[in-house]
Amino acid sequence: MIWWLMIGCGMLTFAARFVMFSDISPKRLPSWLEDALGFVPIAVLTAIIVPAVLISPDNEVNFVGNSHLLAAIVAIAAALFTRSVLVTICVGLTTLWGLEWLLF
Amino acid sequence: MQPNNSTSKRAEFWTGVRDELPLLLGVTPFGLVFGVLGLASGLSPLQTILLSSILFGGASQVVFAQMWGGGVPLPIIGASISIVNSRHILYGASMAPYLRSLPLRWRVPLAYLLTDEAYAVSIKRFRDGQPSQEKHYHLLGTGLTLWVCWQLSTIVGVVFGATIPESWSLGFALPLTFIALVAPAIRKRADLVACVTAGVLSIAGQSLPWKSWIILAALGGIAAGWLVHLAAKPKPQDDNGSGA
Repeated sequence: MIWWLMIGCGMLTFAARFVMFSDISPKRLPSWLEDALGFVPIAVLTAIIVPAVLISPDNEVNFVGNSHLLAAIVAIAAALFTRSVLVTICVGLTTLWGLEWLLF
Repeated sequence: MQPNNSTSKRAEFWTGVRDELPLLLGVTPFGLVFGVLGLASGLSPLQTILLSSILFGGASQVVFAQMWGGGVPLPIIGASISIVNSRHILYGASMAPYLRSLPLRWRVPLAYLLTDEAYAVSIKRFRDGQPSQEKHYHLLGTGLTLWVCWQLSTIVGVVFGATIPESWSLGFALPLTFIALVAPAIRKRADLVACVTAGVLSIAGQSLPWKSWIILAALGGIAAGWLVHLAAKPKPQDDNGSGA
């Protein structure tokens, strides 16, 4: 079943990429849709980031003493300053390891 | 008058390859991490590797793996993937004027190769004003370069992922990758509102069944950002009507 699901999701992905290249689709998107789709990356990625940072393995929302949260804040600063994925990952992971080693 | 046709095709292609190379620094760790995550979500090594060519999209593969691992019903997985992928409609729309006249045998592979990273690089070439009939070779170059890098890094992630101890918290590299993409993208107030709304809803919706908080948070963030954008946008009458 998983293979069919993979192929189905692959077709959904392809459809989103191809739809505006087809002969029958309108030449332009309506401007409201264009505006709305512009917010998809920020909304989707944030929805994945926040639970991954705040929710502990035992399914509790964690603010205090959460080393992942502190590392994420440092990583946000690194991302804003360097705009580099590689540097952000390195800074974030190093901070996390440092915190876990020092404090927790 | 015309430069030699096959030379300019080849030149476009290799320019695309070269322009894409700097982005691989960010894509390679993402691919490695996806390889690790795929296995951790209960996908087999082969399924993880093939997902990278069947879906060929980092964020949708992550959502797929998380939801499959969580036993989410198939229609919810399909709906979530569709929301994550809907941004590609936007990329397609902005590239369509340059590509729509090509035959289908070009449009199909180019659509398959249309990712965030290939789009970001090739759209600059498409819009730079230098006339060329062969610009689609540039997208072929960026797209194929990214494809090869994504497949290889996934495979390496799958091969080595099993041997990396859990205590290294390598899975955390995934939210870190997304932080690197989102943080610099927040430029306007509407962006920030979209981000905060999605973040709050993703936590508030945790008790919803089938990980459907992803859908709630994504749609909520999009709607909030769009509404703020709409409110901030100057009305057309204000632009040209006031002087009369």
